[in-house]
Amino acid sequence: MSMNILRYGHDSYGEQVVNGASWDLLPVAFWAGVAVIVIHLVYRAFSRRSAHKGGG
Amino acid sequence: MAQDNRILRHAGIDRLFHWLTAAAMTVLLATSLLPVIGVRFAWYGIHWVAGLLLTVLILLHIVRGVFWQRPSTVFVIRSTDLHSGRAGKYTLPQKLMHLAWTVAVLVAIVTGLLMLRKAGVSFLERDPYVRSLAAWGVLTLLHDLAALLSVFLILVHVYFGILPEKRAYLRAMLSGWVTRADLKPEHDVDRVERGD
Repeated sequence: MSMNILRYGHDSYGEQVVNGASWDLLPVAFWAGVAVIVIHLVYRAFSRRSAHKGGG
Repeated sequence: MAQDNRILRHAGIDRLFHWLTAAAMTVLLATSLLPVIGVRFAWYGIHWVAGLLLTVLILLHIVRGVFWQRPSTVFVIRSTDLHSGRAGKYTLPQKLMHLAWTVAVLVAIVTGLLMLRKAGVSFLERDPYVRSLAAWGVLTLLHDLAALLSVFLILVHVYFGILPEKRAYLRAMLSGWVTRADLKPEHDVDRVERGD
């Protein structure tokens, strides 16, 4: 399954024109945000654990 | 500015701006993206009214920022921002978040205002022939990309807003105040009090 980056239409001469961004990108934007959150939660857990160990 | 152990971080007018902007952005994203995922309703009327509200809010924010505040506080990245405990009013991630929102919102507003001509509103007659299809396509593409960036930014912004260790910033956006102890881990309190 391929993902489109752009939405296309045609002008009155039948030429292809860009209509906007493909809505295939909507889940990409959503999951990119979720990825940042997950990565930060993992980083946060590890840094807290090492700080806890360092603190004795 | 300072009273006892408390420091005013956000004045009432700035907190009002933040939450009205958040409401406008929520309405704008809901009215534009719910139809994309299959929720059908008459979205356009709500969308352009919320877009104009956002435009007015951002104009007021710019005027307030330029004439009553110091834009460098949030826009200029200094070497000290890279060191934990030495940031001014805003940490480096907060400055980057503000910069990203600036790009997303300004692109959305400029392209949105231009596209009012294509679809028409009550005070502006519809005339899609003022630009070529290709030009409308580029404007729509930029508007869409600003919306997609906003989806990403909202997730990240809300996440960091509700993290327990960042809760003081959320409290400041609700009540206005932070304590020196709240700021100590990441900020240079002297810089904050100088308005730097």
